[in-house]
Amino acid sequence: MNQSSLEQLLARVLSVGTWLGTAIIAAGLGLRCMAWGQGQSAQVCMRMASLGIALFILLPVLRVALMAVAFIRMRDFVFTAMATTVLVIIGLAACFGTPAG
Amino acid sequence: MLWLLAVSMGASAIGGALGMAGGMFIVPLLTVCGGLDIHIAVAASIVSVIACSCGSAASFLAHGLTNIRLAITLEVATTLGALTGVCVAGHLPASSLCVLFAAVLLISAWQMAGGRRAPIDSIDDTRITDWATALRLHSSYPDPTHGRPMFYRVRRLRLGLALMYGAGLISALLGIGSGVLKIPAMDSALRLPIKVSSATSNFMIGVTAAASGVAYFFQGIMQPMIAGPVAIGSVFGAWLGARLLLRLPGEKLRLVFVGVLVLLAVQMLLTAAGFHPTAHAA
Repeated sequence: MNQSSLEQLLARVLSVGTWLGTAIIAAGLGLRCMAWGQGQSAQVCMRMASLGIALFILLPVLRVALMAVAFIRMRDFVFTAMATTVLVIIGLAACFGTPAG
Repeated sequence: MLWLLAVSMGASAIGGALGMAGGMFIVPLLTVCGGLDIHIAVAASIVSVIACSCGSAASFLAHGLTNIRLAITLEVATTLGALTGVCVAGHLPASSLCVLFAAVLLISAWQMAGGRRAPIDSIDDTRITDWATALRLHSSYPDPTHGRPMFYRVRRLRLGLALMYGAGLISALLGIGSGVLKIPAMDSALRLPIKVSSATSNFMIGVTAAASGVAYFFQGIMQPMIAGPVAIGSVFGAWLGARLLLRLPGEKLRLVFVGVLVLLAVQMLLTAAGFHPTAHAA
């Protein structure tokens, strides 16, 4: 894999992910607004919207992970290390956000 | 919910037309007009920032403007900044966040009033063995007016990294892309061509925002009823804004937004002082 094919891959992943996330959130909120908005099913709709939001948040993380793999394949270990560092920092932020216990 | 959709769409369209994310408009609108807690507004706006970044990154990448090696280098600094921001955000009272936000709005207004100058290249190639060279960050981009690749060098990487740390911190605290710090970092410190710095900064803000977004998500302050419509609005707004960018007269637009930014800053200061002009009406 060379750098320009990596760029093409990232472009594809980011744009597909954006529209997928939008569609999932829209479906969740749309169903919530329609007759489904009662009790158990309302919760399912909210879960769906949350899932779409989670997808959005994970999209850049996935992008960094793809870059890390690509840098390994290009035998560029300094950049592999940097991409991994970014992933570790995001992991730390996630740990910090998780309520203790 | 519809007004959230409309507000974030408008904000992102405006942001997109100016070449930035809409977070700077979304947070004040949600807190001042919607009467929402600033922490919740910031979490929702983070999603908007990610949406804008991911949505527009594809076209920048396709045009070969994004320097992905430089981006990942600087992302180490921005995500560290974001991590710091997430750690302190919960301990800061809403009023101090509002004041900080107002300060950032005013600095942005001042920056926008001045306009962005192309970096003036003072050539000092005496120190060739610097970090940027060792990391092979120098690159080129295709320039349609010349029809050949334009080469550029990355300068003062350490200063750039320091500014990026600050940008990540501000981004996590305020839920914005924090172009206010990235623009000086990229133009003055790294001395990148404007097109490259816009594309690379856009590419980076998604990861920076994801670092804080992931924390806010697990903290449970990312409310789907608020963040959901904001995300959808932002995707369409950013798409619309990118098209408006080509049509609207840039100069007049800029002056209008300087006014809007100052107005929002004043309102944020009033909110910080405990004065809610519209909260009871919402």
